[in-house]
Amino acid sequence: MRLELGYVFIKDVQFGSESKVENGTLYVNKEELINLIKEDEHFESVDIELARPGESVRITPVKDVIEPRVKVEGPGGIFPGMISKVDIVGSGKTNVLKGCAVVTTGRIVGFQEGIIDMTGPGAEYTPFSKLNNVVLVCEPKEGLKQHEHEKALRMAGFKVAAHLGKLAKEIKPDEVDTFETLPILEGINKYSDLPKVAYVQMLQSQGLLHDTYVYGVDAKQIVPTILYPTEIMDGAIVSGNCVSACDKNTTYHHLNNPVVQDLYKKHGKELNFVGVIITNENVYLADKERSSNWTAKLAEFLGLDGVVVSQEGFGNPDTDLIMNCKKIEQKGIKTVIITDEYAGRDGASQSLADADKLANAVVTGGNANEVITLPPMDKIIGHIKYVDTIAGGFDGSLKEDGSIVVELQAITGATNELGFNKLTARGF
Amino acid sequence: MVKEIERAGIPVVHMCTVTPISMTVGANRIVPTIAIPHPLGNPKLDPEEEKALRRQLVEKALKALATEVEEQTIFE
Repeated sequence: MRLELGYVFIKDVQFGSESKVENGTLYVNKEELINLIKEDEHFESVDIELARPGESVRITPVKDVIEPRVKVEGPGGIFPGMISKVDIVGSGKTNVLKGCAVVTTGRIVGFQEGIIDMTGPGAEYTPFSKLNNVVLVCEPKEGLKQHEHEKALRMAGFKVAAHLGKLAKEIKPDEVDTFETLPILEGINKYSDLPKVAYVQMLQSQGLLHDTYVYGVDAKQIVPTILYPTEIMDGAIVSGNCVSACDKNTTYHHLNNPVVQDLYKKHGKELNFVGVIITNENVYLADKERSSNWTAKLAEFLGLDGVVVSQEGFGNPDTDLIMNCKKIEQKGIKTVIITDEYAGRDGASQSLADADKLANAVVTGGNANEVITLPPMDKIIGHIKYVDTIAGGFDGSLKEDGSIVVELQAITGATNELGFNKLTARGF
Repeated sequence: MVKEIERAGIPVVHMCTVTPISMTVGANRIVPTIAIPHPLGNPKLDPEEEKALRRQLVEKALKALATEVEEQTIFE
């Protein structure tokens, strides 16, 4: 399977009478987007705001961040099972509006998670402060059930991202990257002297606001399976979760998964990147046992020499992580795990809830309990009053002058476990 | 908490869903429960069945508490 990603670089976003991309500026017609979202009758009010890098803007709560993309050639469409039909994606050509994103906000279900600051110290901790953001402020109708509310807001983001992505369909990209993965036997013949490496991606799947979807299927209902890595670049995996926002994968993270990108950089040179095994993180012990048994079985079946495992979230998923690591290692396959840490504000506590001697190669995305002060911003998009009750916040987090004292946990993407940020720790 | 209470000389049964974590942290008597969001209940059951399930779990825990153990034990 071969995919060409064409990047159309976006340097600015503006409102305009017509939605279009011109000379690196994304113009959006506000009314058009509002009408598109309001096709869903669950919203009481919808507004569109813009947030650019360096502006004194705080966006909170943040449900999802999504990169606009469009299929130019090849089967299927972006976000299969969500926006497009369920054709297998990941081949042909896809154009990307690179440098911008759709961000969904508005009162969400349960706790109001996730902060993106576009300037100041907080901006350093989230990759989304560097993007030109089209922010959808969607408020639900009274009495809307939680699951319907979550779904409505999730779908609004995908719809607008797919809609804006289409603006790039006829544009000649500024840059093109090509990714190719051969069917397994062909790949092994072609790269017979290279070690066979796969990526085991763990998907958050613990219920409302903790879910992930694969081709439209709720990931808690899957058994581990195999994807071509390029399928992910066309939106085969999308996010439905944002609680403890620092280490949850937004849809933007999935589309731009750095583990996939980095393995491709070494593919055919240092290693043979044979594919992605996806698995889940469910709330029943039997599910944890079954899924980790299956990742180990698939790793063995593929004849792998090494595996990179990434976790999503923390706490009981630490057990899924350790089970995956241990069971794959016991098959004689080397593993590296990517996680983050909840080591207390001073960093002195145990970092993970579970551990094993076989987990001897670990990459960390940083300590989510570290405390940061976010100065006041001129403008708030969304709702600020919930900050005292978010994960990483505490009673008194929100100060009178509008500044916030929180753990990094509250910042969207701060300790991302795909390595999509700058924090880590090194052993010497 | 399990370890500190045992250190004070009082035996403890840890009822939990993710028994591997309980093993890692060093609990001695472990009783597996239903699921992380509802360890001692099951919303899929009707109230009478659920009450029976809860009683059964508590009785199992009490039995575990009264059982001598030589090593970390999961009471399946």
